[in-house]
Order: sequence, then C-alpha cells, then structure tokens
Amino acid sequence: MARWIDIMIEVQSLRKTFSHGGRQQVALDDVSLCIEEGGIFGIIGRSGAGKSTLIRCLNLLERPDSGSICLGGQELMTLSESALQARRQRIGMVFQHFNLLRSRTVAANVRFPLELAGTLSAQQMDARVAELLALVGLTAHSGKYPAQLSGGQKQRVGIARALANQPDLLLCDEATSALDPETTDSILALLADINRQLRLTIVLITHDMRVIRQLCDQVAVIDHGKVVEAGPVLDVFLQPQHSVTRSLLAETGLGHGVLPASWRERIAGPLLRLTFVGEPTLEPVLDKVGREAGLRVNLLSGTLSEIKGTPFGQLLVAVMASTVEVARLPEIFAREGVRCEVL
Amino acid sequence: MTDFSWSQLLAMDWVEIGEAGLDTLIMLSVSLVFTVLLGLPLGILLYLSAPGQLRARPRLYASLSLLVNVLRSLPFVILLIVLIPFTLLLVGTSIGVAGAIVPLVVGAVPFYARLVENVLREVDRGVIEASQAMGACLSQIIFKVLLPESLPGLIGAATVTAVALVSYTAMSGVIGGGGLGDLAVRYGYQRFQTEVMVVTVALLLMLVQLLQSAGDALVRRFRFD
Ligand SMILES: Nc1ncnc2c1ncn2[C@@H]1O[C@H](COP(=O)(O)OP(=O)(O)OP(=O)(O)O)[C@@H](O)[C@H]1O
Ligand SMILES: [Mg+2]
Repeated sequence: MARWIDIMIEVQSLRKTFSHGGRQQVALDDVSLCIEEGGIFGIIGRSGAGKSTLIRCLNLLERPDSGSICLGGQELMTLSESALQARRQRIGMVFQHFNLLRSRTVAANVRFPLELAGTLSAQQMDARVAELLALVGLTAHSGKYPAQLSGGQKQRVGIARALANQPDLLLCDEATSALDPETTDSILALLADINRQLRLTIVLITHDMRVIRQLCDQVAVIDHGKVVEAGPVLDVFLQPQHSVTRSLLAETGLGHGVLPASWRERIAGPLLRLTFVGEPTLEPVLDKVGREAGLRVNLLSGTLSEIKGTPFGQLLVAVMASTVEVARLPEIFAREGVRCEVL
Repeated sequence: MTDFSWSQLLAMDWVEIGEAGLDTLIMLSVSLVFTVLLGLPLGILLYLSAPGQLRARPRLYASLSLLVNVLRSLPFVILLIVLIPFTLLLVGTSIGVAGAIVPLVVGAVPFYARLVENVLREVDRGVIEASQAMGACLSQIIFKVLLPESLPGLIGAATVTAVALVSYTAMSGVIGGGGLGDLAVRYGYQRFQTEVMVVTVALLLMLVQLLQSAGDALVRRFRFD
C-alpha cells in the first residue's frame, strides 16, 4: 500500500482485562489503531472508557492480555526488560497530576531522565536542561521545588522532562484536566508548538472535545473499551457517526444542530444541513445561492468554529420556498464548496 | 522516699554515672548504625516484595513479614536471653556493651524495617510510574526515586527507632550490658538510692529530647520546599 505518511504506531487487537474481587472488567476490547508520524492524535471518551489503559499500553506501563503494539516498526510486546527500558527513554509521557519528584528542583526534575539515560556528561546535561527550561518558559524558576509552583508551571516542568531525551513520541494522559481554562490554553499552545518545531508525534487523551478541536489532526472515540469512531478531526466533527461522539460534541456546544422532535412538525418545509469548511465559511454563500435558486430559508441553528486554524460552520435551515427542486440543491451548494444534506 | 539534698547529689558516684552514660551512648550509636544498615535494605525488600508492588513476591513477603512480626512481638528481655548463644558466636562475648549490641540490633532492625516499609509506601505511585515510563530500571527507582523522595520519612523513622533503642539499652542490664538504664535499675530499684535513679532518668530524658530535636531538625532540613 502506497502511503506518503509514515505510520508511527500500529496497534492491533489489543485486549486488556482487569479482575477485581473475582469479577472481570474488560478495559480494552479488540482495539486497533493506526497513528501517523508527526501528527497529533487524540483519544476521547467518557470516564472509564479505557483511555488511560490504552495510552498506558503504548509504553507498556500496562501490559495487554493480547494484541500487538508496533512502534516505529518495532514490536514492543516481545522486547526484553532492558530493551524496553531503553525504548521508553525515547517516549515522553505527561501526566494529569504531573508526577514530579518533590525532592528535586525544577532543573533537577528535567535533568532526571538525562541521568537515567546516562549518555551525556554533566555539562552537556546542564546545557540541555537550560535549553528545555527556555523552551517551556521556566528559566526563572529553575531552582524552585515543585511545591512552590502553580499547576500550569508544574505541567511545563512535566513537558520539559518528557522532552529531555529527544523522544520521537509524546504521550499525554489528560495533561490539562487539572488546570483552569486559561492555563489549559497555554499548555495546549505549547504542545502545538512542540509538535510543529520538533516534528514530534503526540498522542493525547482527553474527555474534552475542545482539546481535540484545538490541537488534534486525528481522533479516535473510545467507549466501553472499543474504538467506536476514528478519523480526521474535521470529519468526525462534521459527520459524527456514533451516538457517543454526538453527545460529546453536543456537551461542548460543538454539536450538530439537532431539532427537538416535538419541533419538527411545527416547522414547515424540508430541512437542510449545510456544512462549510475553509474559505466558504467566510463568504456569503447562502445569500448567493438564495438569489440563484430563489431560495428562502428559515435559519434554525448554526455553529461557527475553527479546527486547528481551519474555519468551519454548520447551519440547520428549513426551506420555505425554492424555484428549483430541493433534490437539486446539494449540487448547487457543492459548486460553492458547501456540503448540503437534505434531512 | 529518701530525702533529696545537694549533699547527696555531691556524694554520688559521678564517675560511675559518667561511665554508664558513655556506655549508653556507645550502645546507642553502634546499634543505631547497624540497625539502619540492616533495616533499610530489609524495609526496601519488604516494600518491593509486597503484593501489588514493583517486585511482588507474595510468599517471600509473607515469610519476611512473619519473621519481622515474631521479632517485634518478643519482649526485649526475652530476646536478650534467647540470643545469648548467637551473640557469643558473633562477637565472642554475651555480656557487657559488646554483648548488648547484638540483641539491640536484632530487636531494632525489624522495628525500623517495618517503619521503612510504611514510609516507602507513602511515595506517590504516580511518581514511580513516571520514572518507569522514563525507562528507569529497578536500582534507579530505588536510589533515585524511592530513597530521595522519602528521605524525611526515613530520618523520622530512624529517630523513633533511636528513642526506642534508648529504652532497650535500659534493659541490657539483665545481661550486664551497663549504661544509664542499668544504673537506674540497680541503684534506684534494687538499692533504693532514689537520687541516682532520678539523675540517670533525667540524663536519659535529656538524651531522648536531644535525639528527638536532632531528628526533627534533620527532617526540617531535608523537607522539600
Ligand atoms: N489497575 C486497575 N485495576 C482494576 N481495574 C482497572 C484498573 N485500571 C483501570 N481499570 C478499569 O478499567 C476501565 C478503564 O479504565 P481507564 O482508567 O482506562 O478509564 P479512562 O477512560 O482513563 O477513565 P477516566 O477518564 O476516568 O480517567 C475502568 O472500568 C476501570 O475501572
Ligand atoms: Mg484516565
């Protein structure tokens, strides 16, 4: 198969069962995923869906019962303990609760993975630490202990630490869930920066669609241990297939316009869902088509947003009058670069 | 009660009290050093081998745990006597300061090891996991994570153990171990010389206070903020 993007991670048929008190709990049920190199891959799902279990399988913090995890062409499950440790040194991980060593200063925390790897001299380590602290904007705090930092600053230390050994993969387990919205934005911006500057593959877990929208290229939705939907973020946002995806979108105000059932009969005319992606979002398309096709509409709902810099919008309208057949409208909108579905 | 007066205080055998004090200090410091040297690894082993921990070995843990509990439940006086043959084998004598150190260490090691195990369990699971994710091997986790992260707790545990050792040394008189506690028992309890007992108990109290504040100061020194 000819692909122009390389695959970083290929996960096949992962199964993980936990047993507690004699009861079996299936945390991952036949999960398969393909994660591209250099992109940001988001995994979203409700609490208990198995997100953490899945991301922890990617560096074998959790060993699956069966399945395979192929990282950059290397099968992880068959690695010896020491080979796995060496591989892990080049996989960064960022945690929801930061997990910094409280006995070490900021600088010493960032230095920690360098000490573990043991490949640099003391001076080289100091230089690398200084570089990393500058990258995350913490140079002024290098001598402080974690207890003296805010949550956002702690997470910056966590990110600098994760990047220390120049990883080719960064795993983030709810990296922003313990932070306020403003701090979340700054951490997400930092991650986006790192992804761009270092061409680093990032896999992140979240239960917040806004994080996916702001940061990710690809997304997988996981529910009860199964991947129920996966694909480019734009596709999943605009054409969500699974009910969990739809409800996650709706909760964040990013959902489709969906009419309450009781309203449907009170609204005359066929319904159209219009999806704008990119340039057409910013143009008066509806007005233009309206003149051409004698279209008069009743605007019912609309969203306008941006996914990783691409503007998109979605309108739900009822057709009140049209000089052309409603069935022909999708074709007319398509000429203007707008997707039209007759509902 | 005998009357207590300055003349009695002067008439006391201060040389003997001084020697006893020195004996106590020697017994305490030597046995504390050995207790930490042996108890720390044992505590780490208990911690690591416990079910659900990094190197879970439930059977090993159960046996070690039983051994520790047995040693901790034996009254120290009995330990002193039971251990006489072992002490004789190890240091060539079962009496005096040298003879007392072996049972002191045997009594205190399980105590300290159990404290160490508990202190290590307080280390944040997430931090250990983070180090595993960074590729740390077991020895790096022990020496770069577990021990530094729990240093204040380990010092606190050593302080508690040192204070317990002070009271153990008092019983070493049973085997002619000497020391302040022995003096207090011999003069105060057996010969009704209350003033000697009061002075030695006061000295022991000072020692315990000193140990406690030194331990607290160290804990403060190594706290992370
Ligand atoms: N160590 C464990 N022992 C037993 N059960 C576990 C363990 N870890 C996870 N589980 C179970 O596996 C399921 C998935 O858990 P997981 O932590 O992966 O969920 P999650 O999607 O990360 O949820 P959250 O958003 O709340 O973090 C849950 O039902 C949980 O109870
Ligand atoms: Mg989780």
